[in-house]
Amino acid sequence: MYLKADRLTLSHGEWNLRADGVFGQGVHLVTGPVGSGKTTLASALAGIFEPASGRINRDGILHLTLSMQFPEYHVTGFLVKDEIRSWHLPVAETLRQAGLDGRQNAKTLTLSRGELKRLHLTCLLGNLWDAVILDEPFAGLDCREKKRVCAAIEEGNHPLIIIFTHEQAVLPAADVIWEIEEGALVCRGKVPEAIPAWKGAPRYLTRATEEGAQPKNIRLQDATEALCRMHA
Amino acid sequence: MIYAQNLRHRLLDIESLHIGGGHTAIIGPNGSGKTTFLKLCAGIELPHHGTLTISGKEPRAVHTGWVGEVPDNNLVFRTVYDEVASGLRFRRTPVDDIEPAVLGVLSDMGILHLCSRTSHTLSGGEKVLVACAAALALSPELLILDETDTHLDRKAAEILETIIRKRPAPCILQCTQDMDTAARADRVVFFEGGRPRYAGTPKEVFFHLSETEMYPSLWRIAECI
Repeated sequence: MYLKADRLTLSHGEWNLRADGVFGQGVHLVTGPVGSGKTTLASALAGIFEPASGRINRDGILHLTLSMQFPEYHVTGFLVKDEIRSWHLPVAETLRQAGLDGRQNAKTLTLSRGELKRLHLTCLLGNLWDAVILDEPFAGLDCREKKRVCAAIEEGNHPLIIIFTHEQAVLPAADVIWEIEEGALVCRGKVPEAIPAWKGAPRYLTRATEEGAQPKNIRLQDATEALCRMHA
Repeated sequence: MIYAQNLRHRLLDIESLHIGGGHTAIIGPNGSGKTTFLKLCAGIELPHHGTLTISGKEPRAVHTGWVGEVPDNNLVFRTVYDEVASGLRFRRTPVDDIEPAVLGVLSDMGILHLCSRTSHTLSGGEKVLVACAAALALSPELLILDETDTHLDRKAAEILETIIRKRPAPCILQCTQDMDTAARADRVVFFEGGRPRYAGTPKEVFFHLSETEMYPSLWRIAECI
């Protein structure tokens, strides 16, 4: 099973992005500066943005979904319970998982943005997909919820997950790191070998590696454990 | 500088809160009342009960710059130049002074290259930076950033932080979910359940949060070195 960007060129006017690579099973993290094309690439991989050239191959992927940056774009149910049912999920259990107990009759768009994001991600990750593309899944979430989303990602219910993010504090364990640099998608490699080459690494990871630590993965706990091993 | 007394509004329930000038980080879980508090400070909403003053004035009498989290809601005008110039024009700034002010703030923020772009072609992060430029161009007394850094990468967030320090408003309220950013503010207010549960220096507030996910990641790293 894989998702392949085959000599892809994405264009908006004079802006271009080149992408050539294979996303195999596992958790892939894609980072890049503001305006580098993360959302455009996520949309192209999901099949809702037409590439200027090249093609996207999906091998063994029957069920693919994209979580857009802004959860409002996904809302179809007037009330929270309608929204949950639209994902074919049980209302009470989903509310509990999203930390929204008792809010089933609230109007969906009256939730705070963080609450709406929680509801959306709980619904999306509560279904079974072959491939999940998450565009800025941590934006607007508090630290506790970011950890919960990371745990859901790490559960491994979805064989292929591609996360586009610039989150700096709470990240899930990842298998492969990619970066968008100077108009092209670049694969930094598998974790942990990719960590030293990762220019957009979170500050805590950079700080730990500057101290000579060799984290096994990219989470804060991996960085602190590596530092503790050094000083043990 | 900001005084709240017996403030009741939606889920907010603040008996007494004083926030001095300088840079204050507003933190807390989703749905804890952070944005509601910021909206009252900006005068976007009026409190149902109680008083809120900023430098002794009603919030709507204060010159405030507001940058919200949703990038599309921040921009009104067609081009980046017009967006950043808009506040100055509404304030009837002399025409000859507008262009240097606009180019100056765009240059300081490292986004001069966006000047002639149409707003709808910007990425989410670029829209946030342009909205910040528009707010800062007005030299506001109170600058409010509501999870503005959510859509910024590390470098862009650092640029924004540098600019805030280079062009400081007398009072900055920054709601953030990045605890490392909050740890660099002059003071922190932690909201929970509509109430300011802890307020003080970053050291004082994060002392109470040291066993939680909200403790700054760089502090965790520093404690291991």
